[in-house]
Amino acid sequence: MSGEDCESLDKGDSDGQKPDKMFTLKKWNAVAMWSWDVECDTCAICRVQVMDACLRCQGESKKDSYGKQDCVVVWGECNHSFHFCCMSLWVKQNNRCPLCQQEWSIQRMGK
Amino acid sequence: MQVMSLKPRNVDFQEMWASLKETVAGVVALQAVERGVWNTRFSDVYALCVAHPEPLADRLYDETRNFLEEHVGGLLQRVQRSAPLESSDYNDGLLSRYVSAWHEYSQGVAYLNSLYSYLNLQHVKRQKVSDAEIIYGSSATVSCPEHDSRQLEVGELGLVTWERVLVRPLATALSSRLVAALNAARDSSPDPSTADTLRSAIHSTVHVQAFRVRAPLSLYVELVLEPFLAAASAHHSRRAAHLLAEGDVSHFMKYVLDGLERELSLARRFLHSSSIEAVRACYEQACVEAHLPALHADIERLLKEASAGSIERQDDLRRMYALLKPLGANAMRPLVDAAHQQAVRDGIALLDAEHPKDEAHSHFVQAMLSLHHKYSELFSDVFGGAQPFVGALDKACSAVVNRRWSGESCARAPELVARYCDALLRRRAADAEADDKLAAAIVVFKYVDDKDVFQKHYARALARRLIHQLSASMEQEEAMINRLKAACGYEFTNKLHRMFTDVAVSADLNAKFQQHLRDNNLTTNSGFFIQVLQAGAWPLGGAMAPLAPPAQLERPARLFEAFYRASFSGRRLAWLHHLCTGELRTKYTQRMYHLSGTTPQCALLLMFENADVVSAREARETLQVSEEAWSRHVKPLLDAGLLTAKGDLRLESPENDEGELALNLSFTCKRTRIKLTCAAAPPNQGTGTNSGTSSGETAHCDDDRKMYLQAALVRIMKQRKVLRHTELIQEVVSQARGSFAPSVAMIKKCIEALIDKQYLERAPGTLDTYSYLA
Repeated sequence: MSGEDCESLDKGDSDGQKPDKMFTLKKWNAVAMWSWDVECDTCAICRVQVMDACLRCQGESKKDSYGKQDCVVVWGECNHSFHFCCMSLWVKQNNRCPLCQQEWSIQRMGK
Repeated sequence: MQVMSLKPRNVDFQEMWASLKETVAGVVALQAVERGVWNTRFSDVYALCVAHPEPLADRLYDETRNFLEEHVGGLLQRVQRSAPLESSDYNDGLLSRYVSAWHEYSQGVAYLNSLYSYLNLQHVKRQKVSDAEIIYGSSATVSCPEHDSRQLEVGELGLVTWERVLVRPLATALSSRLVAALNAARDSSPDPSTADTLRSAIHSTVHVQAFRVRAPLSLYVELVLEPFLAAASAHHSRRAAHLLAEGDVSHFMKYVLDGLERELSLARRFLHSSSIEAVRACYEQACVEAHLPALHADIERLLKEASAGSIERQDDLRRMYALLKPLGANAMRPLVDAAHQQAVRDGIALLDAEHPKDEAHSHFVQAMLSLHHKYSELFSDVFGGAQPFVGALDKACSAVVNRRWSGESCARAPELVARYCDALLRRRAADAEADDKLAAAIVVFKYVDDKDVFQKHYARALARRLIHQLSASMEQEEAMINRLKAACGYEFTNKLHRMFTDVAVSADLNAKFQQHLRDNNLTTNSGFFIQVLQAGAWPLGGAMAPLAPPAQLERPARLFEAFYRASFSGRRLAWLHHLCTGELRTKYTQRMYHLSGTTPQCALLLMFENADVVSAREARETLQVSEEAWSRHVKPLLDAGLLTAKGDLRLESPENDEGELALNLSFTCKRTRIKLTCAAAPPNQGTGTNSGTSSGETAHCDDDRKMYLQAALVRIMKQRKVLRHTELIQEVVSQARGSFAPSVAMIKKCIEALIDKQYLERAPGTLDTYSYLA
């Protein structure tokens, strides 16, 4: 999918180029911020922000000096999202989304 | 010699006792007794004890006792002679006569005890009560054993007789002479023979009762220890008063300590080992405790001079501590309090010392470090690092660190310490001792009450260093985060750690991105470096400002976004344009200038590729810079002279701006590198996570603290269900101490809020108890 984008970009870029340039861009130090693409910031199961590790993982990393921070997010078919750790414990008891009561099935995983 | 017969037989008591008595008299007087005679008498004792038809043991025992009383009576005459009982002249010979009589008699009685072995074993032992009965008492033994001498072995009988017949009449005479001799020995050591006599006489009072299970030292205490202590106490009081009158406290303490040493060695030399502590207590009572006010009065002066470096005063304090320590916490308190106050005074003076305004942070930290160093050295040197003084120093440091300057609503310590760390961690600081200095800064940090405020300042400075790559070294950054973690725990540094990891992950990501470009034969046409930060960990204000970047910038952005989408899933990416920096080179000027500025600034300049003059409003609309941010980005360009304003340019109200911006084609500047600044976003803007001024800062901190306190309150109450007000406050304070020192008023407010929200209620029928509502 990226190939198409780049092609059109290439064209656009070469059009915009002028022989007589006023400036050249030497370098660009960009800063961007990522966040999970979720509708609700908070995991409804552990009440912690999904950007933070879930309560359990926070507890774990307190013991361990370099806590691994790969506590990812999971989306259901209903488009509700939770910490993966929280949800895997939840479905052991009740295989429904805690928010909408639909049967739980994973749409995608955060990475 | 006839062979001893074990068979009971008839004996003539009178006859047998007469010959036995003769030997007994010899034994007790330590005269030579032939072995044969000894053996015969030994059998005689046996024969009397098992005599037929009636055993004669009781009679033998009574006769022996009568004999001993008579004998000791004779000794009494020998010892006393004509010596006056009331005199205390210890050189009049009474003591030495007493000691020689004692040596002879105590030995003799010991032998006699062996001669009477059979009587002791078969006759006395059976009647003897057990030790337990003596100690705990029983109906049969309410009286002391010496009152019923029937229960004593012959050796013990001899000692009891000695005490009753000889010691009692001489008690005052002996006691006053012993005390007088001890008093004299304190001032000048007696010659060996006198010393021996004295020691033997004293220890005889112990020996006489040594067999007793209950109160074995009572005679010693009565005759020696108590009179001695009474006399000593009077002597010490006189001497202490005299010392205090003739010199200052230093002089007094020196002599008092010397005196204590001498007194203890006197006690060790002559008295029973159990008396040392009593002697010490008596001395301390008379010399130190009685003069506490005089000692306490000088503490402040001594501390002041000692802390100024006076070695003599330090010695004085060492003595003061040695004198006060045994008297317990109350006597020490004025010293501990004064030490605390001295450190506080000194600390405030150090902080208030003249210093350059822009060095306030390093002045603060270094002053605190030198204070801490100075007093920990002094206290460990002078007070042996005793706990109360370590505590006093901690309290003092904490008071000084968290002191509020007049007119300030909160202490400046958190900000100053954070700035100090920032300065050391920056690249330009390049300080060889930075590591040690940072480690030392932790000492000061630990005393800061408002650790949460420190954390906010530190996080902001760390973000600045990481994003703009200003850190001296990443190892140093990491080491510092770990130090903070060691001091305050995981939660405190969680976000700092995540920021740090983001930077490491970004480096990796850039490498992968460049590889991706090579693999697909793509290029960004210019240098490109990106940092991808995770939301929630970074204290960045004014985030997500929209921008429509020009093609030169858009291309790498689009390429990267495509790459990022392919590498991860479920992630949203937002550009933080105000934090991005672009580097441009000018082609239209005579010299080439290197410009670096924010993305909007670069984008604006790049618009002049095609036109020399641009309408301000048009430019803003094309770039889609928010109205609020517009002037902050444009003004530096105008100030630097790169752009010039034409017409009625109004940056503050871009909506009505009819002005134009023109590229200054004749731009010149002395430097070839020009760094365009951009003011930080003002408070209450963007996500509002963090912002400049300190009033916004405190308000925000207060909100965080209330959340923290409410969470803590709910946690505690959920666990305890019902709790009294004061206990609840204590628990909350102890939980919060790691990050700030909460005020009780704030906690009360939070409790009220939780009652309103129906998490808690006041327990029915009580005034000061809360209960948890599930």
